[in-house]
Amino acid sequence: MIEFLSKKLNWFEVEYWFYILNDLSLVYIILPFFVLELIRYAYLKRLTKNLILDSIANIITFGAFFVIEIILGLLAITKVYFWVYNNLSLPHLELNWITIITCVLLADLAYYWEHRMMHRIGIGWATHTVHHSSPHFNMSVAYRFGPLDAILPIIFSLPIVLLGYDPILVLLSEIFVQVFQTLLHTEIIGKLTKPVEYIFNTPSHHRVHHGSNKQYWDKNYAGIFIIWDRLLGTFEPEVEKVKYGISEPLHSNNPIKVFFHGLTRLYDKIKKTSGFKNKILVFVKPPGWEPK
Amino acid sequence: MKSSTLLFRSLAILILIAGSAHLVSYASINSESPKSNRKEDTNNTPVSETENSKTSTTSEIENKESINYSTDYIIGKWEVAYTSKDFKGVVIYNLKKEKGIFNAYTYQYENESGDIEQAKKSKVLIIEKFDGYKGAGKYLIDYEGKQYDVKCNIDMINENTFKLSYDYYGYSDVETWKKL
Repeated sequence: MIEFLSKKLNWFEVEYWFYILNDLSLVYIILPFFVLELIRYAYLKRLTKNLILDSIANIITFGAFFVIEIILGLLAITKVYFWVYNNLSLPHLELNWITIITCVLLADLAYYWEHRMMHRIGIGWATHTVHHSSPHFNMSVAYRFGPLDAILPIIFSLPIVLLGYDPILVLLSEIFVQVFQTLLHTEIIGKLTKPVEYIFNTPSHHRVHHGSNKQYWDKNYAGIFIIWDRLLGTFEPEVEKVKYGISEPLHSNNPIKVFFHGLTRLYDKIKKTSGFKNKILVFVKPPGWEPK
Repeated sequence: MKSSTLLFRSLAILILIAGSAHLVSYASINSESPKSNRKEDTNNTPVSETENSKTSTTSEIENKESINYSTDYIIGKWEVAYTSKDFKGVVIYNLKKEKGIFNAYTYQYENESGDIEQAKKSKVLIIEKFDGYKGAGKYLIDYEGKQYDVKCNIDMINENTFKLSYDYYGYSDVETWKKL
């Protein structure tokens, strides 16, 4: 087993497998599943104009996010990550199965923390609220991103590079976590078997994360493994029927409004808040924070 | 949950996961390094004793200090088939890493009749930049008794094949290097 895990792999094979799991997943699983969801909506007579416009807005926000992500991601990878990797990191890890598995685990843990921060600090929520603002829950919602959603992942993944992991492997692992997450945005799949529900993040756990019901707020941040939530005190099982969306609904499918509403709400809050110190605190304190 | 508990739990998870990867990596490098050193020794046929000791010392330093697994897979022997007027057959090159730069030396000639001749071990290629996929450097071409340093590019097709291309004042060529 150790021999297998430590067997050297070559980059071409690894990139090929990540290409199949990450890039091609859109073709062989995400799109077919979304079509299935649309059929289900039609069958349940829930295929409304609002749902279609919401799905279109989701894809448009993804396009805008993607442009920002590409620019920031390329800068981070080529400049910061490789500089850290070549100058500050622990001894470089060779490419083998144990490196890949541990890198995915660490990318998932980093995702947990950056996701938690997105919910718990004002500027994080200002961008991440976009993802939660849809009143629907399907695969297209997974593509609903805010303008600054690409920043925190870059910061939180940097320690993995410091630990000696190749920046490209870190990037591929991050994308893998995101792709896994995408598959959780569905109402079609109910609860899975107990061992799976105990270890992995599942559609049921992620529905809870998207719930606007009070007891579901700020729960189940996990990407692939729900064990992070269990270990770090943020786990909540799906019991009550989930009401999707945010506490202050957006009531709009205008992609520009959807994309920027978090930042405009943050700006309004800063404008209303008195005192310079308090204005700064709005950025870093939890979203519901008000000065005393 | 208290912030301190969160911090210590997260750090413990981090150390456990990254530590296991480093442990396995350290163990596998240790078990492999004597083997790879021996292999290097038998493959090297240096020009002179001084160069031999220099090369093997460099090679040892490289092995111990700067192993880069995303690029070092190109180290080893490569063959290139030629069909020029001067030579028809296969040339085998030995690609080594020296002071962080990849250098290729002629190793063996085999003409189209199958006659094999050991080469002089002259340096023919210096790969100055290589990221595991693409590279650039100098191709040292002998033409009518003169040596020319020609800028060249390297494109990996897969881990066992790369294309070496150059263009020198209109004289261009693409060679296919195959790993042995």
